[in-house]
Amino acid sequence: MPRTSDEPNAHLVNHDLVNKDLLRPVALLSTRFFLVVALLGMVVLAGFSAWGYQLYNGIGVAGIRRPVFWGFYITNFVFWIGISHAGTLISAILRLANAGWRRPITRCAEVITVFALLIGAMFPVIHLGRPWQAFWLIPYPNERGLWPNYRSPLMWDFFAINTYLIGSTTFLILPIIPDFALARDKFSGWRKRFYGILSLGWRGTQRQWHRLETAMQIMAIIIIPVAVSVHTIVSWDFAMTPVPMWHSTIFAPYFVAGAIFSGIAALIVAMVFLRRFLHLEEYLPPVCFDNLGKLLLLMSLLWLYFVFAERLTVWYGNETAEVSVLWLTQRGPYRYLFWIMVACNFGIPFPLLAIKKLRTISGTCIASIAVVGGMWLERYLIIVPSLSRKFLPYAWGTYRPTWVEITITVATFAGMALLYVLFAKFVPIISIWELKVGMREASESELPIVAQADLRTDNIAPERANKQAGGRGQFQK
Amino acid sequence: MERRDFLKATVLTGATSALSGCEKPAQKLVRFIPEEDLVPGVATWKPSVCTLCSAGCGLMVRILPGEAEVVRGGKLGTIQMGLAKKLEGNPNHPVNRGRLCARGQAGLQITYHPDRVNGPLRRSGPRGSGNFLATTWEEALSEVVSKLGEIRSKNRPRSLRVLSGRLRGQHGELVRKFLKAFGAPPAMVFDPLDEPVLRQANLLSFGQASIPSFDLARTNYLICFGADFLGTWNSPVAQSAGYGEMRQGRPGSRGGFVQVEQRMSQTGGNADEWIAARPGTEGVLALGMAHVMLKEQLRPHVQDNATRLIAGWSEGLPDYAPSPVEEKTGIPGKRIERLAREITAHVPAVAMIGGLPLAHTNGLFSALAVNALNTLLGSVGTPGGMFFAPRPPMQEAEDLTEDGNFVRDLLGAKLDGTDVLLLHNSNPVFATPAAWKVRNSLAQIPFIVSFGSFVDETSELADLILPDHSPLESWLDDVPESGTNRAVVSLAPPAMQPLHNTLAMPDALLTIAHQLGGDLGKALPWESFQDMLQDSMAPLRTAGGMHPPPSPEAFWTQVQEQGGWWGDEPKQSGRLASPHGRAAVKFTEPQFDGEESSFPLHFQPYVSQAFLDGSLAHLPWMQELPDSLSTIMWGTGVEINPKTAQRLGIEQDDLVEVRSQHGRLMAPALLSPGIAFDVVAMAMGQGHDNFSRYASGRGANPVTILAPVQVAETGSLAWAATRVRVSKVGKARLALFSGGLFERPFELQSR
Amino acid sequence: MSHRWGMVVDLDRCTGCEACVVACHAENNIPTVGEEQALKGRAIHWIRVERYYEGEFPEVRVKFQPVLCQQCDNAPCEPVCPTYASYHTEEGLNGQVYNRCLGTRYCANACPYTVRFFNFFNPAWDKPLHLQLNPEVSVRQVGIMEKCTFCVQRIKSAEVHAKMEKRDLREGEPTPACVQSCPPKALVFGDLNDPESEVSRMTRSRRGAKLLGELGTQPKVTYLQREDWNAKNI
Repeated sequence: MPRTSDEPNAHLVNHDLVNKDLLRPVALLSTRFFLVVALLGMVVLAGFSAWGYQLYNGIGVAGIRRPVFWGFYITNFVFWIGISHAGTLISAILRLANAGWRRPITRCAEVITVFALLIGAMFPVIHLGRPWQAFWLIPYPNERGLWPNYRSPLMWDFFAINTYLIGSTTFLILPIIPDFALARDKFSGWRKRFYGILSLGWRGTQRQWHRLETAMQIMAIIIIPVAVSVHTIVSWDFAMTPVPMWHSTIFAPYFVAGAIFSGIAALIVAMVFLRRFLHLEEYLPPVCFDNLGKLLLLMSLLWLYFVFAERLTVWYGNETAEVSVLWLTQRGPYRYLFWIMVACNFGIPFPLLAIKKLRTISGTCIASIAVVGGMWLERYLIIVPSLSRKFLPYAWGTYRPTWVEITITVATFAGMALLYVLFAKFVPIISIWELKVGMREASESELPIVAQADLRTDNIAPERANKQAGGRGQFQK
Repeated sequence: MERRDFLKATVLTGATSALSGCEKPAQKLVRFIPEEDLVPGVATWKPSVCTLCSAGCGLMVRILPGEAEVVRGGKLGTIQMGLAKKLEGNPNHPVNRGRLCARGQAGLQITYHPDRVNGPLRRSGPRGSGNFLATTWEEALSEVVSKLGEIRSKNRPRSLRVLSGRLRGQHGELVRKFLKAFGAPPAMVFDPLDEPVLRQANLLSFGQASIPSFDLARTNYLICFGADFLGTWNSPVAQSAGYGEMRQGRPGSRGGFVQVEQRMSQTGGNADEWIAARPGTEGVLALGMAHVMLKEQLRPHVQDNATRLIAGWSEGLPDYAPSPVEEKTGIPGKRIERLAREITAHVPAVAMIGGLPLAHTNGLFSALAVNALNTLLGSVGTPGGMFFAPRPPMQEAEDLTEDGNFVRDLLGAKLDGTDVLLLHNSNPVFATPAAWKVRNSLAQIPFIVSFGSFVDETSELADLILPDHSPLESWLDDVPESGTNRAVVSLAPPAMQPLHNTLAMPDALLTIAHQLGGDLGKALPWESFQDMLQDSMAPLRTAGGMHPPPSPEAFWTQVQEQGGWWGDEPKQSGRLASPHGRAAVKFTEPQFDGEESSFPLHFQPYVSQAFLDGSLAHLPWMQELPDSLSTIMWGTGVEINPKTAQRLGIEQDDLVEVRSQHGRLMAPALLSPGIAFDVVAMAMGQGHDNFSRYASGRGANPVTILAPVQVAETGSLAWAATRVRVSKVGKARLALFSGGLFERPFELQSR
Repeated sequence: MSHRWGMVVDLDRCTGCEACVVACHAENNIPTVGEEQALKGRAIHWIRVERYYEGEFPEVRVKFQPVLCQQCDNAPCEPVCPTYASYHTEEGLNGQVYNRCLGTRYCANACPYTVRFFNFFNPAWDKPLHLQLNPEVSVRQVGIMEKCTFCVQRIKSAEVHAKMEKRDLREGEPTPACVQSCPPKALVFGDLNDPESEVSRMTRSRRGAKLLGELGTQPKVTYLQREDWNAKNI
């Protein structure tokens, strides 16, 4: 990838230090790490226990009821699939747009995508009445001659999510290989063997690099329509039914925009935590957060536009069933949640992101946390009110989640964090080679010449490194 | 040998005691030999009789073979037997003509109820503790025989009392004959669903103390004062069938329907016009209409016994001009005039009264007023009007009114001196006001025997429980009083073999009679109830219905196959005899218990669609059936108008206390638009202390807090005469099946 | 000649008595869920009588409306089931294949009439109430959707018997449990492919309307509107 002028890490010069900084999280095992893993692990375990309880006793231990047959589980499903759009935007779109500031954050984003997809994809199984037969969704030839119903949006989900998962995993794993190779070279002992296996024999030859770059290019182009299709299809789970305020053509772009919105917010939150706890201040400079913050602002405005447009049309159209659902969130029992959602998705982020002075790392962090919560609420407020007031008022009903659903929901957040922490422990969370591409060309003149073809031998002569750096990460300007 | 006969033989010879003494129920399940001819998978249909309410509809029972776990001869095992799977109406039965109500459908659960008493029990702890131990039929019956023998030998036959529900047909005959031959007083009947005020009014007006039938299929206009005739009142299936025809059974002609009540009932929901006259003023409204009809000469002036009973009739009812009627009823005079003109413009028209209006202290007046109105309308004994169902020409020992009255005897201290009480089909401990202290009165009787299939609040006081078969396992007969224009005697053999170690109550009585011998044995010579039935039906062979009359054997077979005997349709309704010489009545204000200032609200318990008077609360289908109006399941609600609730600070799902001068209860509130501002209502039937796992400890019983006010002329409970106050005491949950109350709630909001 | 089953509900005859509701329970092995589950909105009534109030006291009116599966020709519940558990039969019924159902409950959300019910737990019958169960109807387990089938077991049984006796089905044959029990004869059932059948004639009534017809589901249940006494000159 050619370099651009907005390389955020242009100031870094010392490859060895870069290696050390970015491999250190992988190398060190601290008490804090074990504590965090243990804590998150317990919450995740609680979630699995709750699920086991549900499997044993029946789906009735959740709060779903007639007519609100989908509740927390589908909310989580849509939410996590939405979060998974982080990776696509950052890696693929920014890659195609030649944005250099994406370099340190691509892997953070792609990891979110893969794990969010994995978590999200669990929910169609968790919410099933008979999950032990979930494999019937897989089209395999069987003696009954039965195939799944391809007209069902749930089958489209099945294919779309699996495709996206395979694509994203590929998109994640391919560019890790050179970093695994680096780790293999830098470490010794069991780690050397471990990363040796994972690096799949990467030598860093010209041809391998070329292949990698080509593959990334292709994936970047393919993954964008796949990602758009995934959340479009997820939105069609709702829009393809005649439920009031679901049956809307706006759902597809609304959901995709919302997904990107929540994805960026999740990414920012992840980055802030990584930056803090892995001491990656130099590698995730404020400009990344600034740019992401601007994107988040844009998505917030877009989100607001969609929400307003949808509600205005419903209100103006005055169709009885739809307006009764609208009133639930505007005047009825859900109005508090509605306004909290608007505050979280727009009220809080807008000033924090629009005003330059406030668009700091902390500012974007607060805004992002608000958005993550607000977007979860948004999924809930799309699903539940509509189902609780369909066409025949005699059949209306109110949904109340139970401890099982709440535990599993909380456990997914803990699970995401746990997966992330574990990933960051075994894989350099910042793509080292991509970072270096950004570094290298900026300070071409200053840096010792490194054979382009041989990133593997990144051993700079110690005296040169010291002469250059005099410490870590100094600005050269 | 038939199993029934085997049981009887062993009882009489004492063989079972030997058997049951030696064996304990086996650990392993034994397969018993089937006692019937069964083809797997093939259904047969057998007639039966529904006994759940006074309508007396005919049933067809679908029987399929299946495997049941039973105890035979002390051994637990399985047996292939015909199992009743579904109840339908008997298409040939004149009352219900193939149709069946919700409760009738649920009767199926009685036979298979998990809490059915499945063998004779003897009390083993203090009375009312609910501790019973299993005993044998031989021991149980011989104990009864010895107790009765004791009081007979002490020359105190009058210390035997029977407390029973509705007694009709040969069941009733058997009980009456038994008591008469024993020398005991007549059975005390306690049937909360009976209409003694209406009977009295009909006796006075028409010479017949019966509940009327209505030819709704041919009427053009029905005005109904308070009777839930499409739900629970009298003969709901027959009345609903007539109603359906009235509405849409005659092309080009549709009958109109006006309902007068203070709380929208399921019946009232179908009315074209719904009138909420003040409580206890229904008779005034009826006479108000009559006044207009007389004044404007809309109907020929009639002077009949029914009208002579109304003071001022011959003068044109001057006290019931629109203006004073408006004052009393709260209904505008103009509306009354319109109603009068409308009804007379659409004859044949008929008026009906029942339920709450007759439960006021002035209930008799209201009933007589409606009888007069019907007379004026010319609807007595004419097509589209009211009539009395013909009685079958059977030898009946006594008329229905000859039975005793439990309430009368209870309040008249006639229960004192009772040594032996036999209980059958009645639960007065539950269905009477606490103020009457029924439980205390009954608990003092030294020896109580219950023939019930379930332990309930009354039968838990028993010393012996001799469980009857369930209806589907019994020989059944019935003589419906209403809902048919031809004489009917329903009759059916058992549709199923007994599941448990039970004994048909009539057969138990016959066994006891034979063992006691003497006059009793002579008065009841039959070996079994089946024989008694066969004898009783014999005169009907030539009484019509089957032309030409078959041979006696063929007749008996045919009667069993079709589910009874029914006569020919009467060609002409006869004129009714009219007794003379009663004083004319005039309107008196209904009396209420409780000062209006402290007890501002009228309390209206009503017969429940699911449980009737509470006797069906043990059926799970009925607990889970959402009430048609309130949609309540598994509970009771206090129905209150939203404006009244707001004034009292009560919201939906608040727990409220309803307090009368004689008690208090707590139940969740149900805000309902269909109730007057000064009325609260509760469905009867819940609030059981002890009535199977499904009904015990659930809901609240409105009857307990009723004031012990009686209708003077009949002595029956005036259950609409209690005033209460309502206050919030906490929070509760009410299982409602419905969500929104209004179809277009949204539009209503914007008004 | 193939059959196309339909039903007519005459709202002028219906009294709201709910005999149909209990008849259906008895015929179709519908579980009783108990108070706890009823409080959570999980009671199952394949046919229900909806009750709507109009107005305030004393100008209160009530409307009763029996609602059951409309067996829509353009059923929204059919395309959305991922396993074809909800499908359209050749006789026009919306069939529910219990053992194919995964319990996604998508069909229940899609149904605008909310006539689909779900087994949140394994149903249980306190013995010996289980002896009442109809052997011709499957008992559903946890996670399975269920709804009115127009008593398809009765339809099949009638067709088999007619075939064995080498004759056509007669008028009034088959009859679903609800139709059979209804005291005012508000429910009529029959073959819409036979223009002379009672159900066909009544479907053509000028009082006829479809419930939520504007949604385009093409239901096969026709509701005959209740007549207004005051508007009619008799």
